[in-house]
Order: sequence, then structure tokens, then C-alpha cells
Amino acid sequence: MITAAALQHAITAADWEALRPIIWIAGGALAVLLFDLCLPRGAHRISSVLLGVTSLVWAGGFLVRNYHTPYAAFGGAFLSDGFSVVFQGAIVLATLLSLLFVYTFEERISSAGAVALLLWAASGAMLMTGAGNLLILFLGLELLSLALYALCGMASRRAAREAALKYLLLSSMASAVMLYGMVLLFGVTGSVNFSAFLAPPPGNPLYLVALGLFYVGVAFKLGLVPFHIWMPDVFEGAPLPVTAFMSVATKAGMLAVLARIIYVATPAGLANKVLLPIWVVAALSMIIGNLAALSQSNLKRLLAYSGIGQIGYIVAAFAGATALGLRYALFYLLAYLFMTLGAFAVIAALSDQADEGARLVSYAGLAHRRPMLAAAMSFFLIGLAGLPPTVGFMGKLLLLSSVLNAGYISLAVLLIVGTAISIYAYAKIIRVMYAPMRHEVVAGAMSATWPLPWIAIAICSVAVLGLGLYPLVPSAVLPLVK
Amino acid sequence: MAVGELSNYVTLSAVLFFLGVAGVILRRNPLVMLMGVELMLNASNLALVAFSRAWGSMVGHIFAFLVITVAAAEAAIGLAIIVVVFHRSARVDVDDVTILKG
Repeated sequence: MITAAALQHAITAADWEALRPIIWIAGGALAVLLFDLCLPRGAHRISSVLLGVTSLVWAGGFLVRNYHTPYAAFGGAFLSDGFSVVFQGAIVLATLLSLLFVYTFEERISSAGAVALLLWAASGAMLMTGAGNLLILFLGLELLSLALYALCGMASRRAAREAALKYLLLSSMASAVMLYGMVLLFGVTGSVNFSAFLAPPPGNPLYLVALGLFYVGVAFKLGLVPFHIWMPDVFEGAPLPVTAFMSVATKAGMLAVLARIIYVATPAGLANKVLLPIWVVAALSMIIGNLAALSQSNLKRLLAYSGIGQIGYIVAAFAGATALGLRYALFYLLAYLFMTLGAFAVIAALSDQADEGARLVSYAGLAHRRPMLAAAMSFFLIGLAGLPPTVGFMGKLLLLSSVLNAGYISLAVLLIVGTAISIYAYAKIIRVMYAPMRHEVVAGAMSATWPLPWIAIAICSVAVLGLGLYPLVPSAVLPLVK
Repeated sequence: MAVGELSNYVTLSAVLFFLGVAGVILRRNPLVMLMGVELMLNASNLALVAFSRAWGSMVGHIFAFLVITVAAAEAAIGLAIIVVVFHRSARVDVDDVTILKG
């Protein structure tokens, strides 16, 4: 509860220090818009991307500094601990890599507007990772969501606008459901701080209703089965950089909220009741996400379904509420980031402004036309399937060990079954790429020669291989309690 | 505030919330669906203010102001998207939005 004492809590430099990465990114968005006014036409796209990348790198530097100095800023409203810094780092990296695909926006779309909205969305997601009370959580969530509604529609294709409309209607309803859950939590406990939820008044049925509504919202935003219906449509319709951003940054913000609630705000007496639905939802996502990926003929859709499964793996590690599970889940989140954005980078390298190279038919015989790109795509898909020598294999091994460690034998079996199904889905693309060419190149989609996606492909390949051989599992990640 | 009085407010807010949910799920006009979402947000506002009074805390009031601001931004973006999607068709109906099939 915000008391008079908390309101008089003097705001010191350390408070701003904790927020500095977010301030830099949000300020970077303003700078992008300002420079867009001043610079001559023709320099817009490159200057927006450069400015965006600069502010992200700068913010990354502050994050490294904040990693070892956990601090509860603004009276515990924003918690800058190792936990949130790792999540913020993942969001910064994902935004950085997505910015490299911005040139796939159509010429008539203002790239400065798109870059600024992406940066604001990123700062919203970062705010969520450190949220210590419901107000900051809601603020971050809506900053992220509102920016994304607009970003989804930033193309003249009808599909993009449909995606924006679907995302707007479904996601804002999910936000409202989650908000009502938060309001009831406030009503039951009399406080908006996460730490107050540890001791709910006994015997109030409203507490479980509130948590239920809250978790429905979380599951929707994470795209977990059975709240995943919107994801493939929105991923297919949205412009490529936005899809890439959503596949990692949005998920990272919400995963942080889920983990913080599970680890610091779930009363021990209720843990079984609360964790059961979480592991059921994780199991459903692993199986159904991967099964649905089998029949997709659009790579963005396929990556959406694969993302549902991959997020399911991560949530499965949370379901045990063990410290090991959290560390390995964070490692797998980084693995997922590099593998998925690597795959998106290959799609971006095959895109031009008229056509995004996401249709599976345009990958037929790719190995004969663009052998490097086909090899890179195969490498990332092998990683997503969880085969060695990639970080996907190492990450999944660690996840499996943490799930077993938590005593969920059946969940571990389902994780292996889900992985086995996913191998078929990914192998289908690899087979298409390496099949002998039967017909001529499909028009479009193969001409772009921008260097930026190649930078993303290089970063992701090195990370996928390097982290697979030397797994750097973050250590100081248990969330701060305030 | 008496307990009975609080439960009246909370019941009213729950009724408004479910009316909003029904509006989003049952109606096919995106404008009305958006109004349903706004109704859900306002149900939250009512409950927030009632709880805030009951607990004698200012947080709920501040939260309600935050929600009002967000609802305004959401309505602005929502209406803009609806205009972009439907500006060439005479009818405004989500059943016409069928390129992407989930």
C-alpha cells in the first residue's frame, strides 16, 4: 500500500539509475522522430535505424551496470534486480535484431514512426519485467500493447490491417480481463504490491477468482493454449520486423511478470492450486503448438505455432517454482531469442518491399540458389528442434533436467513428445530447401541484397553455436522481494 | 463504508464487466465490440474506486486515473484501426474480415 511515508520517500539518483535503460530507449524514440523532421529525404530509413540501434546499445551498457546492483526503485514500484535485468537484456537484444529488418517496410510507411513505436513497445515490455506493483505492470503492458496495435497495421496489405483489428479486439479484451483480476486482487488484499499477495486473507473465494482472471490475461498475452488462436493470424499479417519483435520481446515481458508472480507472490499454502493450471497450460501448448506447426505453409505462421510450443517449454520450467527452473528458463529464453530471430533474419534476407519471403513455396530449392541462406535457416531450425550442436539442444537438456528436478515426470515426457513432433515440422522446411529444383524461381522475394539481415544472421549463428558449446546460464536471477 | 454498501458496488461492477464481455463476444460490429471493452475497463474503475474507499487508501483512485487514460488511448488507436480496415466497405462487420483464417 502506498502510505504517506512511501509518498515522502525521497527520490534519489539511484532510483533514476534503475530506470535509466528504459529512459534511454524511450528518449531514443523521441530522437528518432525529431531527426526524421530535420534530415533530407532519402536518409530517413538509415538514420532511424542507426539512432534506434545506438539508444539500444547505450541502454544495454546501463543494464550491464545494473546487473550486480539490485535495487528497489521508487519505493519498490520498479525492481531492478538480476532477474529483471536479464529479461530487459533479452528485450533489448530482440528489439535490436528486429530493427535490422526495418527496411522490409514498404516505402510509403514512415520508418521513423515504426522505429519509434518499436522502441516505445520495448520500453513498455522492459517496464513490465521490473514491475513491483500492479500499476507499473498495467502501465508497461498497455504501453507495449498500444504500440503494437498500431505497428501491426503498418502495411498497405489488407492482411496487415486485419491482423491489427484482430489483435486490437482480442488483446484489449484480454487486457481488460487481466485488469479486472488485478482490481479484485487489490480489493481482496488492500494493496497493489506483489509482495502483499503472499498473505491473502484466509477463506476469501474472491482471491482465487482474481488470480484466475489475472492468469487468463497472462496466458493470452503469452499465446498459450487454449488462448493462442490470435497468434498465427497476427504473426502472419503483421509486417516482418513487428512479427519478429512480438515473437520474443512481448513474450519476455509477460514471462517476467508470470515468473515474478510465481516466485515471490504465490502463498506457499496455495502453490499447488496455482501451479496446477500453469503446468496443464504448458503441456497443452507444447503438444498443440507443435502439432499445428506441422501443416503450415507460411513461415511466419509456422514460427508462430512453434513459438507457442517454445514458450510452453519455458512455462513448464516455471511450473516447478524451483530456483534451478528459473535459471534454466532464462537460459532457454535467450536460446529461443537467437534461434527464432535468426530464422526471421533469413526470411528478411529473402524479402523485398513488395513481398515478404514467408511463403513456403518460395523456399523450394533455395539451397541451389542461395546456399548460405539455406544453410543458415537449416541451422536455426535444427536449433529450434533441439538437436546438437546448437543452443537449442543444450537449453532443452537443462529445461528437462529442471522439470525432472521439480518432480514433474509426466511433464518431462510431454516435453520430449512435443520436441519429437516439432522435429517433423522443422524438417519439412529443410527438405523443401534442399529438394532438387523442379520449377523456376517464384517471382519476387529473392532479390533483396541489403546487408542488415546478414548482420543479424551472423550474430544469431555465432550465439546459437557459441551458447550451445559454452552455456552461460545467468546466476543472480532470483527476483527481489520488497 | 459499510460492508453491504461495498458489495453493492462490486456487484454492479461485476454486472457491467459481464455485459462488456457479452458485448465483445456476441456482437459482430467492431465499434460495439470496442465499446464492450470500454465497458469492461469502466467496470474495473468502479470497483477500484469502491475498494479504495473501503480500504481507506488512495492507490485505487490513482489506478482508476491510469485506467481512464489508457482507455482513451486505446479508443483512439482502436477507432483509427477500424477506419483503416473498413473505409472501403459500406458495412462494418467483423465477419467480413476473413483473409487470415486461424
